[in-house]
Amino acid sequence: MTEEIRLQVKDISKTFGITKALQHVSFNINKGEVHALIGENGSGKSTLTNMLTGIYSMESGTFVLDGEEIHPKNQVDANNMGISIIVQELGTLSGLTVAENIFLGHEDRFITMGIRNTVKMNAEANRLLKAYGFDNIQAHKMVDEYNFEDRKLIEIVKATYFHPKIVVIDETTTALSQEGREELYKHMNRIREEGNTVIFISHDLPEILDKSDTITILRDGVYIDTVKSKDVSEEDLKRLMVGREVTGKYYRADYGEKVSDEVVLSVRNVSVPGLIHDVSFDLHKGEILGFGGLSESGMHEVGKAIFGASYDRSGSVTLADGTEIVSIPQAIKHSIAYTSKDRDNESIVINQAIRDNIALPSLDKLTRWTKLPFINWRAIKEFAAKYAKEMSVKMQGTEQFVSELSGGNKQKVVLARWIGKDSDIVVLDSPTRGIDIKVKQDIYQLMDRMRKNGKSIIMISEELMELIGMCDRIIIMKEGTVSGEIPRSRELNEHSLIDMMV
Amino acid sequence: MTDTGLTKEQQVLKAHKAKLIRSLLPIAGLILVFILFNVLTNGRMISHMHLAMSQVYVIMIASMGVFFIMTMGGLDFSQGSILGISAIVVCYLSNYSIPLAVVGGMVAGAAIGAVNGYFYVRRKIKSFIVTICTMFLFRGLIKYLTTEAPVAGSPYLVMMDSTQFKVICTAIVIVIGYVCFVHTKFGTYLKAIGAGEKAAMFSGIRTDRIKFMVYVLSGAITGFAAFISAIKVGSVTSSGGNQLETQILIALVLGGMPISGGAMARFGNCVVGSLLYVILSSGLTMMGFSTQTMQLIQGVVFLLFVFIFADRKAIQVIK
Amino acid sequence: MTAFKNLSGATKGYIVLIALVILSWLIFKVLTPHNFGSPEHLLSYFQASLIATVGAIGFYFVMDMGLFDFSIGANIILSSIVGCQLATQFGLGYPGLVIGAVATGALVGLCNGFFYVRLRIPSMIVTAGLALIYESLANYIAGGMEQTLPSDLRGLGQMPGNIILAFVTFIIAWMVLNYTKFGTYTYAIGSDEFVAKNMGINVNKFKVLAFILSGAFFGAMAVLTISYGSSMVAVTGMSSMSRNFIPTMGCFFGLAFMKYGIPLQAIILGEFIVNIIFFGFISLGAPTAIQDVITGLALLIIITFTTKVNKGEIVK
Repeated sequence: MTEEIRLQVKDISKTFGITKALQHVSFNINKGEVHALIGENGSGKSTLTNMLTGIYSMESGTFVLDGEEIHPKNQVDANNMGISIIVQELGTLSGLTVAENIFLGHEDRFITMGIRNTVKMNAEANRLLKAYGFDNIQAHKMVDEYNFEDRKLIEIVKATYFHPKIVVIDETTTALSQEGREELYKHMNRIREEGNTVIFISHDLPEILDKSDTITILRDGVYIDTVKSKDVSEEDLKRLMVGREVTGKYYRADYGEKVSDEVVLSVRNVSVPGLIHDVSFDLHKGEILGFGGLSESGMHEVGKAIFGASYDRSGSVTLADGTEIVSIPQAIKHSIAYTSKDRDNESIVINQAIRDNIALPSLDKLTRWTKLPFINWRAIKEFAAKYAKEMSVKMQGTEQFVSELSGGNKQKVVLARWIGKDSDIVVLDSPTRGIDIKVKQDIYQLMDRMRKNGKSIIMISEELMELIGMCDRIIIMKEGTVSGEIPRSRELNEHSLIDMMV
Repeated sequence: MTDTGLTKEQQVLKAHKAKLIRSLLPIAGLILVFILFNVLTNGRMISHMHLAMSQVYVIMIASMGVFFIMTMGGLDFSQGSILGISAIVVCYLSNYSIPLAVVGGMVAGAAIGAVNGYFYVRRKIKSFIVTICTMFLFRGLIKYLTTEAPVAGSPYLVMMDSTQFKVICTAIVIVIGYVCFVHTKFGTYLKAIGAGEKAAMFSGIRTDRIKFMVYVLSGAITGFAAFISAIKVGSVTSSGGNQLETQILIALVLGGMPISGGAMARFGNCVVGSLLYVILSSGLTMMGFSTQTMQLIQGVVFLLFVFIFADRKAIQVIK
Repeated sequence: MTAFKNLSGATKGYIVLIALVILSWLIFKVLTPHNFGSPEHLLSYFQASLIATVGAIGFYFVMDMGLFDFSIGANIILSSIVGCQLATQFGLGYPGLVIGAVATGALVGLCNGFFYVRLRIPSMIVTAGLALIYESLANYIAGGMEQTLPSDLRGLGQMPGNIILAFVTFIIAWMVLNYTKFGTYTYAIGSDEFVAKNMGINVNKFKVLAFILSGAFFGAMAVLTISYGSSMVAVTGMSSMSRNFIPTMGCFFGLAFMKYGIPLQAIILGEFIVNIIFFGFISLGAPTAIQDVITGLALLIIITFTTKVNKGEIVK
């Protein structure tokens, strides 16, 4: 294969507030290849591609496309330079027709004297859809009439119909069924054969090894290496992603420890319409119970269901003393804590002082006189300061607003709140999402300490590595139901889990 | 990301300065406007102070209820109609018993608040839409009930009208409101709901219940304000409580209330704001401005203050 | 039921709307068989509904972006007074009336959009503040007098003038919505402002444009209003707000049927339904004071039925 350089990434850096998302990243991407970009959550892959496609603004460094420096201002601008993206979430806009979605930002070719030739636009969209083999999709219909999978197909058309030089596919495959994936692979191949380039982001390492030619690894915003897929194994990639220096005390080191038989929480036949179906399990004292699966598998809803935060839940969540948990205030009262995957919306009150955030669930005990409801502001300040310090939150003072903190420190504020509440059952949904390695390590160590103090933890995560590393037991979810359960063992690897997931 | 050029200390300093402006501007404005009008009217304002102040009680009491609503991010445009309906109930019941009239007024206000709360909380309709609907609906009812003649209250009602009594009533309401907002978890909860409702819910706050109760409470508070207004006038006409919602909104904004509520809300907003509003409007009247000129000035000042106090960090997409 | 599900979105929408028209007609026809609902009556109800429909169709461009406008009533009063003065004091006749009102409406829309974008505060608050200003401007211009349109200039208040004017505005709105990128972009902004911005859409520009377009439509509504009612009084103290309701109602119909792809048609039929109900109550002998109660209640009910309650969704 001739190796002609398509894109040079030159010394790119980007910061969000005080978080360094990318630091002096440089590497090359060739023509006619599928170039995978891998790294753990928060390693900066999406930040990089979002800058390339104009979604984020550039900060320092340059992109050189076919020898020319480019500074895309927005997605349409990037499209005009020959770069497009298929995003992880829903990328089509509701309320618009299929054709309007496909040509959004590029309507000018159908416009004469201000009037858009909608008939011509629909015909063109239909022609493209037919050429792609998506005969069931009609251009003039509202995009709302199609399901998630079909809307992803529409996005494929939108991103590739103009034969862009680079197509970024950002973790699209996890949301697709096998058929949808095959469809996507087909188009990735087509793009490569046309001599163009695919930048492929995925968490699924076997998929990466199978589908890509070249792999670039990022870790904590730093460029690690670029390798040929045929030269490496999954183990090599994992090693590169996590980094050697942290393997030792990163996760729990113990194996074969006996978990107590004492059941602290028992979940029976819990269903939430459309999300989870008939889930049952027990949580023991001092146990870390993991939940793994695809993002849409319903595992995130399990956490909410335990915390009393699900709507229309059926089945029962019962504590050891027979108390049934039905609402959030009741769950908190009975010493259950919960941190959400959607940290900024559901875990912390973002435009509020750190102090109030930490004290919020504990206000009842921070009163001036025990019987009267008057709150004691000095006690609150001391309380917040104490637990913020215990979690070593990096801040200017407890009066500072949470919105000014980095992701990792926000998570520490959330954890400080529940440690301050001294909760016995802690549900952690994606606790390390978007957090740098240093804070991750702190969180793992905290979990280990809590476990040893007899607290019980439910850890829900999309990162199989941390589940394997931290949990006494892992329950795998698939399409809203439990598809398997695996005890802690040294031999456990991602493959055995993935088989149960898909 | 415009602040990236500044060092951390500068940013902190800047935030500190903004906070200072936020808390001092309304008070400075109050003093300045007061002095200004006294100079312009050759001291007529001070000598007619009780006249100016006679408007303040109703606005201050009612604006406290709306202050609670706005702190949690809601809006309420139905206060004028609540006042009208409650005043009718007060006047009607005052013929039987004055204490019954006070309770009746508050219950009527609370009931309308409950209607607002139901559509807002249970039916998930935006609060400003719900409350303009109820504003119009109950305004129609007031017109209907006063079609024949104004609803007259008992003569005892007007006999209670004294500055002393009204000041004491207002002070009691404000002090209770202050203690609840600043020294109990009520205020902290309201601010948390305004700053991030989902997170507040996940912290164990019964957000829906509190939102509903605050609308009921605010209705009851305005029901009490209706009593104060009834002892001043003694009867209710079809225009009873007209425009109160606009006056309250302007008053709160003048007091430094961020329009989206949240952590930046201070209890002083409603007290300073209603004083500032009343002094501004009575000063303009004393200077002989016409209604439309006053309204023009009000509109401009309103927009200016909203602009200054809006907490833009809290609203990512401004609709 | 399955047969209904298999129909195309638009057909489903039409079936629901027409069923509502028939239902509301039927209820009042049963209650007051003699002075309600003859074909001539229905035609006059329809003509009356056209006034608000014109405004609602313009307002739709603002509301589909998720924005709101509290200055509708003030805009209508200001525009009709300016139009009336141009037509009478300045002797410009029909052109003065129509162009004056529409241009004033567009200017008011421009102000709304400009201040909303520049001050970066919620649109309903900006427009509420500006409504105070528009009301007082209308008062200045009117000089405290009731503005009456002479009878020889009221042609746009009756058939066929009103139908023609309304029809022209419908065509414009329909063209804009389906045959320009402006329509697509307002939807895109309403659906997800962040994504729209990423697609290179100048969000602020289109927000201002939507306000201008909506303002111009309210100008047209002002022409119909003053031609139909023959005079206009400038009010103060936000009393103009009462004129906001009827156009807003139609708009909610439009938003509810957006997903069926027939928003404009839904607004026209929706306003028709609203008017059938109004005239139904009148023929029942409801006192005029109660009309406001009905208006408020009707809007509340329409919104209640057109709003989907999503559990856990945050509504402010």
